[in-house]
Amino acid sequence: MNVVVPLVVTLPLLAAIVIVLVGKFLPNRPSTVMALLGAATPVVLAAVLLSRVTSSLYTYWFGDWRPRSGSYPLGIAFAVDRIGAGLALFALALLLAALLYSWKYIEESHYLYLALMLCFGGALAGFALTGDLFNLFVFFELMSVAAFALTAYKIEEPSPLQGAFNFAVSNTIGAFLVVFGLALLYGRTGSLNLAEIGKRLTEDGRHDGLVVTAFVLITCGFLVKAAMVPFHFWLADAHATAPAPVCVLFSGVMVEMGIYAVARVYWVVFDGVLGEFQHPIRDLLIGVGCVTAIIGAVMCGMQRHIKRLLAYSTIAHAGCFLIGIALLTPDGLAGTSLYVLSHGLAKGALFLAGGILLATKGGIDELLLFGRGRDLHGAKVAWFVAALALASPPFLGTFTGHALIDDGASALGLWWLPAVVAAATVGSTAAILRAGARVFLGIGDREDPLLSENPSESPPPHEEPNIRWLQAVTLLLAFAGLAVGAWTGLAANAQEAAHQFTDGLAYTNTVLDHAPTLAVPAEHWRTTAESIVWSLVTLFGSAALAVGSLYRDRLPRSVTDRIGGVLHPLRAAHSGQIGDYIAWLTFGVAVIGGLFAFTVR
Amino acid sequence: MSFVPYALAVWIFLVGLYGIVTSRNLIHITVCVTVCQSATYVLLLAIGYRTKGTAPVFADIPTEGRRVVDPIVQSLTLTDIVVSVAVAALLLSFALKAFEHHRSLDPAEMELKG
Repeated sequence: MNVVVPLVVTLPLLAAIVIVLVGKFLPNRPSTVMALLGAATPVVLAAVLLSRVTSSLYTYWFGDWRPRSGSYPLGIAFAVDRIGAGLALFALALLLAALLYSWKYIEESHYLYLALMLCFGGALAGFALTGDLFNLFVFFELMSVAAFALTAYKIEEPSPLQGAFNFAVSNTIGAFLVVFGLALLYGRTGSLNLAEIGKRLTEDGRHDGLVVTAFVLITCGFLVKAAMVPFHFWLADAHATAPAPVCVLFSGVMVEMGIYAVARVYWVVFDGVLGEFQHPIRDLLIGVGCVTAIIGAVMCGMQRHIKRLLAYSTIAHAGCFLIGIALLTPDGLAGTSLYVLSHGLAKGALFLAGGILLATKGGIDELLLFGRGRDLHGAKVAWFVAALALASPPFLGTFTGHALIDDGASALGLWWLPAVVAAATVGSTAAILRAGARVFLGIGDREDPLLSENPSESPPPHEEPNIRWLQAVTLLLAFAGLAVGAWTGLAANAQEAAHQFTDGLAYTNTVLDHAPTLAVPAEHWRTTAESIVWSLVTLFGSAALAVGSLYRDRLPRSVTDRIGGVLHPLRAAHSGQIGDYIAWLTFGVAVIGGLFAFTVR
Repeated sequence: MSFVPYALAVWIFLVGLYGIVTSRNLIHITVCVTVCQSATYVLLLAIGYRTKGTAPVFADIPTEGRRVVDPIVQSLTLTDIVVSVAVAALLLSFALKAFEHHRSLDPAEMELKG
């Protein structure tokens, strides 16, 4: 057990180093096999870890710098709970799927690409497991730098460069916000260990300007990674230009890591000292989540570049993830974690299907590809299965996650919140269905006045991609995404894990005093009639809206012009200019910080 | 301990942000990002500063009656610098490649939109 914890993170990193050193002198096949082993072994280890941490938190002190009870923690710790271990397992499993797909997708997988992917995966796993604030920043930057380079992997083309540049500048500024916040917390508490910071802040009890500023900066910094409005602009540029298997990790787990960090830092560090301000924090984060969900869904409906469309769908879903976290209850958190699981698998399948279109048809534009995907049966089935999973049909796909968030919101009296989540789901799923219907089935109009132009993308450099292999991996992810919702035992597990996660005091005691955590018995969630109604609403609403948007060309010109005019400012805001993005970022931090300071005052 | 270093850190950060927002040159933006990062160094070092403290060297020098500045923030700053080098190198290489395509470093001449 002691050996397992660090190996989950270090094995992919070590494999990356070895591949960089020897890959140049080897043919591609051995490097690929090494990379697959470097990803598959940690998947097994992370699964072992997850099965062992069921009852309590597991702390691993590097170099055995374990603090004596009550003394100051000098060492660096990994504090692994079920949600952290589950997220690490999920990240590594998606990495493995992406590598399996890349094997036949990107010219026999170039060794530097493999090394970057392994670095990225290792950093994601480390981010999920660590119990140290500075370590969070380091893994944040490690995953970011690997991700920037992966976005610009097709460096001979102009748009990936721009996408990567915007991505890199936005996320780096986000990371600086985190550093500012953690420096302030270090100044107050003299510690970087999450548990110790939380304990000292709670004992100190002051919730003055320093604590509030640190909270706002750290939260906003991680929300940049989570692509919340108005920090979300980089995401569409990065996703539209990165290779398809890389997007699987971006959408499936990297964005979610930002939300995970917000939740982790809130529950361990700030819940004690800012606990009496739960209401303003909840309102603020729910507000950000709702705006993000709606803007993401609206933008999603206006895209014809398929990967960009999927990127905006991710923004819409990320807004819903934040809503689940922002309820600040175990049920909301459990809902988000199940939602993330199903969404990551389904969205991954959609990106991989997009990659198949790019590889075989040489394009990724919905209108140009009209009807040309009819012969790609595997990709077609995967596309619609994954879209079904995202539509949250009863007892399949994202249903359990949605239902837990909805019920959690209703329990708090936020009766309108399920409607927002449903609207975001309907909007983004309808766009996915619409694009799929045009490309794979060849139905609908050939023109659409509301879709925006975007630069085309050239196919991946590969002579003859093995389409069967690519479709097999895509189908696997799509069906896994759908089936996860049917696994009913998972909901109870997620609830117990969420109870453990939200018990900041137990976390602190386990990390610092090695006191065993008592498992909190959770009230088990049962399906309510309300959640089934909402799931039918999203399912049929998505289908209806998709059919409607296939025939937008038949609307009178005056109507589409009016809609286009209303949406124009929103579209213009997504200008592709990094200067604008950073202006929005600054504005967002100022507004969120100002509102929070005003309510806490 | 005066407030000046903290105000300075905020000032440097804002100057860097202003530079990124108004810049029309990718290399200039990269430099502005490193300016923002410098603000984090100033803040970290200011937090570890002790009046009349000396360098945090504990080997070979007696520690009694001697104040030292906080070594942890210094190592954090070093880590931060390493990160900054990696990011700046990547950004500059992107800028270089972008120049090869467009014969221009102006981000406004690039093409992603909406």
